[in-house]
Amino acid sequence: MSERMYPGLQADERTVFAPYSAFEIPADLRELHGRYDVEATALRVRNFRYAEEWIMMMMGGWIATIPELPVKTGLGKVIWETAQAADEFGKRLPELRCGRKALDASEASNTAFSDFIQAVAEPESPPLTIEKLTGVFDVLIPHLVEIYELHNRETDAICDAPTIEILEDIIRRKHNHIQWGQDVLDALCETDELKQRRRDRADHIRSLLTASGGVTGVLETGQGSIN
Amino acid sequence: MKRFIPHEELARDSRFVRQDPAQATVLSTLPDDVDTVVNVFQQFAPMIEAGVQGTSAQPLFEELGPGFMLTIINEPLDADGPAALPRLLLRMHGIFVGELQALEGAARSIWDFPDAPWEFKMNMARQCWDEARHIQIFEKLLIHLGGHVGMFPESTFLFEAACSDDPAMRVAGVNRGLEGLACDVFRDMIRYAEKTNDDVMKQAVDYVLADEITHVRFGSEWVREFTKGDPEHLKRTQDFRREVDKRFSFGGARSDREDAAIPIAREDRIEAGFTEDELDELAQISGEGPSKDTLTAAAEILRDRYKAESAARENGAAS
Repeated sequence: MSERMYPGLQADERTVFAPYSAFEIPADLRELHGRYDVEATALRVRNFRYAEEWIMMMMGGWIATIPELPVKTGLGKVIWETAQAADEFGKRLPELRCGRKALDASEASNTAFSDFIQAVAEPESPPLTIEKLTGVFDVLIPHLVEIYELHNRETDAICDAPTIEILEDIIRRKHNHIQWGQDVLDALCETDELKQRRRDRADHIRSLLTASGGVTGVLETGQGSIN
Repeated sequence: MKRFIPHEELARDSRFVRQDPAQATVLSTLPDDVDTVVNVFQQFAPMIEAGVQGTSAQPLFEELGPGFMLTIINEPLDADGPAALPRLLLRMHGIFVGELQALEGAARSIWDFPDAPWEFKMNMARQCWDEARHIQIFEKLLIHLGGHVGMFPESTFLFEAACSDDPAMRVAGVNRGLEGLACDVFRDMIRYAEKTNDDVMKQAVDYVLADEITHVRFGSEWVREFTKGDPEHLKRTQDFRREVDKRFSFGGARSDREDAAIPIAREDRIEAGFTEDELDELAQISGEGPSKDTLTAAAEILRDRYKAESAARENGAAS
C-alpha cells in the first residue's frame, strides 16, 4: 500500500497521519456543557448591554456637571471604552439568534434593576461628584466584573467562547476603570466626613443592587451577597 | 438627571471665572462703522473691566482699554508683535476652554438624546475621549508656553451657541460650527508654530486637527441622517448652522478676507466633508462684519478714551 495523502473509499485506504483528539495539541482540558444555553446567554448579553449603555449615558450627562477637571477628562475615556463594551455585546446578539437588527437591543433584568440604574444616575449638581463616582466605580462596575467573571467560569467554554473573549477584554478595561475611580475617590474623600459620605452612598446603592438581584436579576455570587 | 442644561450650569473648579457671552454675540452683529463699534464697547466697558479683574487679561485691559479684545482677535498672531506672549496665551486658553465645552457638548449629546441611533452615541462617545485628550493636550501646551488654567476669563458662548435641543442642530452647531472653527484656528496655530520653530506645539496641534476633521465628518453625516426626508427640518438646521457660523466668525476675524486674523482652513474643511458651496457661503457669512480698518480705528479710540479717563481719575484722586 502506498502512503496516502488523502482518504480513499476503502477501509485500507487511510492516510498516514497520526490521529489526535481536537484537544490534544496543545492539551485542552475544557469540557462541553455550561450553565447557560443559547437563549440564556442571549438574555444575559442583553442585560449586560443595558448596564453598559446606561453607564455610558449617565457619565455623558455628568461630565458637564462635574467641576473637577481630571474627572471630566478621565470620564471621557471611560465613556468611550464603555460604549465599545456595549457595542461588542450588541454585535454578539445576532450571533445568538437575536436577529440581525438586535445590535442595539438592551434589556433590564427587571424593573428593580432599571430603578437601581436610575438611582445611580440621580446625583446631578456640581457638589455631588463623590455620590456620582461611588455609585458607578465602587458598586456597579465591580458588580459587573464579578458577574462577567462568573459567566466566563460557568458558560460552555467552547460553545460560548466568543462571549468569553468579549468579556475578557471588557473585564481587563473594567479593572482599569475601577482602579481609576478608586484613586479619584480616595483623593476626593480627604476628610472623615467625606469618607463617610462615600460609605453611605455605597451602602445605599449596594442595598438597591442587592434588592434588584443584580444585572441579571438573580444573586449569583454564591455568597448570597453582591460585591 | 434632567435633559439639556444651560451654559451657566457648566461646572468649573475655583480657578475659573466667566466672561459674559454677550461680547461675542455683539461682535457678530456689529456693522462696518467705527462710531457704532466704539459706542457699543463703551457701553460694555464696566462689564468687560469687571470680567478681567484679577486675571491675566487685566494688564491687557489696562494697556488697551475696553476694546482690547478687538485688538487681540483682529490681529494675526505675530511672535514679534506687541504683547505677543499674552495674546498667544489668550488664544491658547480660549482653545483650552473651547475643548472643555466641546467635551461637554459631545457628552451631553449622549445623555440629551436617548432615542438617537446607537451609531450616533458611539460617535459621540469617541468624541468624548478625543476632546478629553485635547483638554489634556492644551493644558500641557498652556504650561509649555508659560501659562496656566484659569488665567483668563472663560466665555461659554461656544456651548451656548452650539448646543441646541434638537439633535440635528446640535451636531450642526457642535460638530460643524464649533469643530469647523477649531479646524481654522488649529491650522493657524500650526502656521504660528512653524514660524516660531515650536515643534512640540506643531506636532500636538496637528494631531488634534486630525481628530477635529473626524468630528466634523461625524457632524456632516448625522445632519444628513437626522434630517433625511424632512426638507423643512434640513432648512432650519442649515439656518441654525449659519447663525452659529456667524457668531463664531467674531465679526470677520475668522473669515476668508485678506485682513482676517484666522483664515478659513479650506483644505481641511473639504477633507472633513464641507462642500465648496458651503465654504463659499461661510466666506460670505463670516466676511460681513466690520473691516479690520474699522476695528483698528475703533480700538485706538477706545484705548485713547480709556487712557484719558484713567489719567483724569488719577489727577482727581491726587488733587
